[in-house]
Amino acid sequence: MNFMRQFLALLRMSLSGILRRPGSALTIIIGVTCAVGVLVSMLAMGSGARRQVLAGVREDHVVVNSHGARGIQSSIPRDEADTVRDLPGIKKGKDGKPLVEFQSVVPIEARRRVTDRRVFFPLVGITGAPTDNDPDLHLTEGRVYRPGLDELIASHPCVRQFTGFEIGDKRSIGGVDWTIVGHFSQGDSQLCVVLADAETLMAVFHNNAYTQATATVQSAADYSVLQHALESNPTLHLEVRHERETREEGIRQLNALLNFAAYFVGSIMAIGATLGAVNSLYSIVDSRRREIATLRAIGFGSAPVGAAILCESIVLALPGALLGVLLAWALFQRMSVSPFGFSFLLDVTPRLAVIGVLWALAMGLFGGLLPAWRATRVPVTTALRAT
Amino acid sequence: MKYLPLVWSGLWRKPGRTILIFLQVSVAFALFGVLQGLKTGVAHAVAAARADLLIVHSRLSSIAQPLPYGLLEQIRSVPGVQVAIPVELAGGTWQKPDQGIGIVAVSPEGDWTRAFTYTIPPEYLAAFGKSRTAMLVRDLAAQKYGWKVGDHIPLNLAVAQQNGSNDWAFDVVGIFTDSDVGGGRYIVLVSYPYFDEARALKKGTVNHFNIAVSDPKLGNQVADAIDARFANSSHETKTESLREMAQASMQAIGDFDFLIRAVVGAVLVALLFATTTMMVQSVHERTPELAVVKTLGFTDRAVFLLILAEAMLLFVAGAACGLALATLVLPFAARFVLGLSMPGIVVLLGIALGILVAFISAALPAALAARLPVATALAGHRAA
Repeated sequence: MNFMRQFLALLRMSLSGILRRPGSALTIIIGVTCAVGVLVSMLAMGSGARRQVLAGVREDHVVVNSHGARGIQSSIPRDEADTVRDLPGIKKGKDGKPLVEFQSVVPIEARRRVTDRRVFFPLVGITGAPTDNDPDLHLTEGRVYRPGLDELIASHPCVRQFTGFEIGDKRSIGGVDWTIVGHFSQGDSQLCVVLADAETLMAVFHNNAYTQATATVQSAADYSVLQHALESNPTLHLEVRHERETREEGIRQLNALLNFAAYFVGSIMAIGATLGAVNSLYSIVDSRRREIATLRAIGFGSAPVGAAILCESIVLALPGALLGVLLAWALFQRMSVSPFGFSFLLDVTPRLAVIGVLWALAMGLFGGLLPAWRATRVPVTTALRAT
Repeated sequence: MKYLPLVWSGLWRKPGRTILIFLQVSVAFALFGVLQGLKTGVAHAVAAARADLLIVHSRLSSIAQPLPYGLLEQIRSVPGVQVAIPVELAGGTWQKPDQGIGIVAVSPEGDWTRAFTYTIPPEYLAAFGKSRTAMLVRDLAAQKYGWKVGDHIPLNLAVAQQNGSNDWAFDVVGIFTDSDVGGGRYIVLVSYPYFDEARALKKGTVNHFNIAVSDPKLGNQVADAIDARFANSSHETKTESLREMAQASMQAIGDFDFLIRAVVGAVLVALLFATTTMMVQSVHERTPELAVVKTLGFTDRAVFLLILAEAMLLFVAGAACGLALATLVLPFAARFVLGLSMPGIVVLLGIALGILVAFISAALPAALAARLPVATALAGHRAA
């Protein structure tokens, strides 16, 4: 109890003294602000990329592709596709047909609007109407392609980022001129997606196999039924996974890279900020030697003195953390970036804010340790005699 | 020079503070070195990519659209083409779905390695040509999966064999290294004739052709000649050098320019503020000493330079230490971006920046010290 009373009295005293030493306090606050701001903005890239990839994922969607294959390496021959349609476990639509969409994916090139740089994006041929499988998809302009005609619809990010996607524009793909006939939006995804009719696209590319399939299942039990049916059928070389799982796997490597970079840079900046804090706190302790010695002489213990310095350090780090998170949010929230030719919006989430604050607390704690220890070691008699 | 001891003793007046500032400067410049080194290193890596190796792929889609094997003879007849080798790519996994491996099927005929950036010891090269199921493993893949020469490795490929099975098996006959920055990390080389014969679909097609030109200066000309030969045919081609491809794939890093600049900016702001505060504090504490120095006949200018020199010494030493640290750390970053090294220009830039930061952060305290009125300072009043 005595410790707490002394500690609180000392803390109140040191905090009221902050305004008399604005330089030292500001050094700590600005250092922490920069470190936390950079960490949070860089982590926002990873969370933004993840959010974009997982946007529109439906829990009842499953993806079927060839065994062990990822992305465009997968292939489902037509005969296997026919078998897949009749597998048990797949939900039936209102018309009694199974809800399965087969996709034929062809990566094609486009040029950036601003930089004229080359990027790849998927041209996806799908079976069935575009809105059947994705309720988030809304046609905003023009019309849907007609099967059998070489027509495409493009998502808004394509039009914004690349040249050649206005309605009526023609693109040469597979030696055939395709016409853009419609634009669609897909939630707030920044991904450029171009859709066409699967059969038309496969005819142009002399392709006899779909790339993958997306199916709807009613329940977890139905998922197991479907999985069992796929695996026990010797004519099929396919595997089924939840849509969320496939998307997570696709983003894992990029996320690991972005998070590594964020924590690497964030840690180095935190070390710098901590060193600055140590220096400032040392000078605060030094300038208060007589004050501390006086307090010790009238009966204050050394433990509350040290604890008060440690606490002051943490209290000074907090406004830095909040400022850093706020700056990251104000400057970068929903900013569009496109590293690796893949565009997404930065996303400063509450989780990142918490990480930033914890990071700052750690800086305050480590920065305060040595100065606090020095404060407890102030020799009472010599410090009192010093001028 | 004769004032050096004075500068030195000024620095060591409070060793703790000086060491902390030194460390802070080192850390800031280590970060600067790594980030700037990453950026400049990538540019260097692109410049180092081979311009004399060409890749011929389909104009329709360089990734997904196959070319017929039959184009090979026509490509070989284009003047300037020295070696042309068909290449097919496939993806696979080893044991677990997340243990990916890239299969590069090549025809091991004649002087084939000239058309690649791979370095293969002669005994391995000879062994590769002898067996149909032979496989050469890139050093990185061999390390990752622990494969050794003589191992029989079962792989699950996205390509079916004629019996419908996706299970393949190859014998490791050697290990190779790759000098190309854009090359796959976890790849193996297998024989194209065997691969094509054994697979069920897409027989007689390749992903691209690798070409070595006789004269590096002829690269563009040969590329245009090849594309012209297949123009308006059913298999239009697009021929690019490895350097052009490296440029395209490294462009992504360009988008990080803004980020790198922002981070370096934040680091410098924090550093400047911290050091300026510390230097001002130091000048305050040394008011009586500085007054004595002035009484002894040092001009205002000399005192200004004295304080500035202290900061310069500390910052340049700190920056040099930080950049040295960055040079040590950068090879780890090369795990993500191949072929990185610390270019000399970054070191020069860093030292110059160190001098600039020292000047800015010492200007205010040095001016305070220079304007110190001797009489009042001696009487014990601190500088304002």
